[in-house]
Amino acid sequence: MPTTVQPDPTPIIQASDLNLRIGSTQLLDDACLAIRTGERLAIVGPNGAGKTTLIRCLLGLTQPDSGRIEINGRPLAELSHTELARQLSYVPQQLAERISFTAMEFISMSRYAYGGGGGGGGGRGAGFKQADEEGMEATEQAIELTGIGHLRHQALSTMSGGERQKVSIAAALAQQTPTLILDEPSAHLDPKQRDIIHDLLAKITREQNISLIVITHDLNWASADFDRIIGMKAGQTMVDAQAGAFMQKQTLMDIFDADWLLHPHPESGRPMVLPCPSLKP
Amino acid sequence: MTDRTKSKLLIALLGITLLCAVVTPWLGYHLPQWDVIFRPGADDMDAIIFWQIRVPRVLLSLLAGAGLSLGGVVFQALFRNPLATPFTLGVASGASLGVTIAIVSGMHFSLLGLSGTSLAALSGAILSIALVYGIARASGKLSPTTMLLGGVAISFFFSSLILLLQYLSDAGSSFRVLHWLMGDISRASMDSVLQLAPFIISGVLIVSLLHRELNLLSITDDMAASRGVNVDRSRHLLFFAVSLMVAGIITVCGPIGFVGIMAPHICRLIIGSNHRFLIPASLLFGATFLTICDTLARNISSAAEVPVGIITAILGGPFFLWLLLRKNRSLP
Repeated sequence: MPTTVQPDPTPIIQASDLNLRIGSTQLLDDACLAIRTGERLAIVGPNGAGKTTLIRCLLGLTQPDSGRIEINGRPLAELSHTELARQLSYVPQQLAERISFTAMEFISMSRYAYGGGGGGGGGRGAGFKQADEEGMEATEQAIELTGIGHLRHQALSTMSGGERQKVSIAAALAQQTPTLILDEPSAHLDPKQRDIIHDLLAKITREQNISLIVITHDLNWASADFDRIIGMKAGQTMVDAQAGAFMQKQTLMDIFDADWLLHPHPESGRPMVLPCPSLKP
Repeated sequence: MTDRTKSKLLIALLGITLLCAVVTPWLGYHLPQWDVIFRPGADDMDAIIFWQIRVPRVLLSLLAGAGLSLGGVVFQALFRNPLATPFTLGVASGASLGVTIAIVSGMHFSLLGLSGTSLAALSGAILSIALVYGIARASGKLSPTTMLLGGVAISFFFSSLILLLQYLSDAGSSFRVLHWLMGDISRASMDSVLQLAPFIISGVLIVSLLHRELNLLSITDDMAASRGVNVDRSRHLLFFAVSLMVAGIITVCGPIGFVGIMAPHICRLIIGSNHRFLIPASLLFGATFLTICDTLARNISSAAEVPVGIITAILGGPFFLWLLLRKNRSLP
């Protein structure tokens, strides 16, 4: 078993010993997570391992039965809804297709926690109170960074999955939080769109020093683009290690109950995996 | 459409609403002399027809139309369901059951200026609000699905009780119940306008203050919460504000159908889903639509007035089909 990374003395988010039981299912079993500023953390694990439940607890969307969550040293429960929204922003797995707001309306709505964002649909800065010029700037910056200027006035319902995902990330960026939480941001995208989203996220962390917490099933992405990986199974955060140390045959077998072939990436040298179903018992 | 265009559209809509409010009191079998506007308190026939019958009726239809339309906007966003109406949560069937009981049992009383039927309607409406709220609370959070299903179940239950009572009662009572169920503004008076106004004003105020929350809630609860909305509190406020407003409208006008479902959809198609514009647009459109329908209702047949609920449904039914066939291009 690889060595567990020592928690940073001053993580911006620290969750310890989270437990949640619904009916006879133990969704979280002493789950722990910590992340520092600018760190990129991937959470992997089989379906039903509790990955989404864990991030829902961080976001205050689900209440754990027990455990502690601290954000910037303050207990989560002490933070108001808007205070939390200024610390964490969230990109759900997929935005519903029926959303008829335009990109601009949708993105400006993420300024709610700052008192702005009536959801303007018109020209520059529409929908903001005058005081929220910062919001206008943040919105424009997010649009520029994600490269969706041409989609500004298009309804989300008419966009492709990749475009919607970019808008969703732009909205989370406009929320100006030190940490971004994404739930399988590229799971339903084609290879090209997936690469675009991966590059975009890499650029964001590089340029803005934003911390990332990402749930993914894409182990090769986790290996290539993340500093640390947490492997979850049956509600437990079983392994928490540097990406390189995490990507080992035995670790992966323990977490996924499946056999893997590991091979260094021809260019980066980072470990890559191939599932080998033929070796399954 | 830019925000500037939307604002211009709203101003145009306001103009149409005002025009409608000014013109419709003159329309009818009897055409009052124009100088009647200077004699609001007079007791000649023209003044009575104009000031005591038509003006209150127009004011009441403006208020009720605006309120029903706003109720539809809020419930469609809150439950993320294009089929939601202000009556979906059982307010109308509760009020109707109350009225049916009052009529069938021959209650005749009044309290604080409210007639027996009004009181029965209000009690029934509040009972159903409390029931739906209780059901939703008992199942944990105020989940939209639980509230919708609870409301629908209560509506069906109350409707069957209404049918049973009608079946057991005499023809006269049965007809009165039926007439009430169709929705009717013909009993309008200045008193009823003044009774309804506070319900509408408080509802409109609360909903308007929460337009940013409504935008986010119309996406998903998780999205709203992660953007910083206090979902539980907003949901409570919106639910009670709209329910009480609708209870007030039903108490005075009966359950006028279709305004609450069609007006929001038409407005959404024209002005978009942003509640900052959708709320004022639906208020104005609903007010204008119901006022025009009521003007038709009292003029369409020379023999007797047609209940306005029939007119709104006749216009609303085909629209509804068109909406379904058009598929959710712009539904919430």
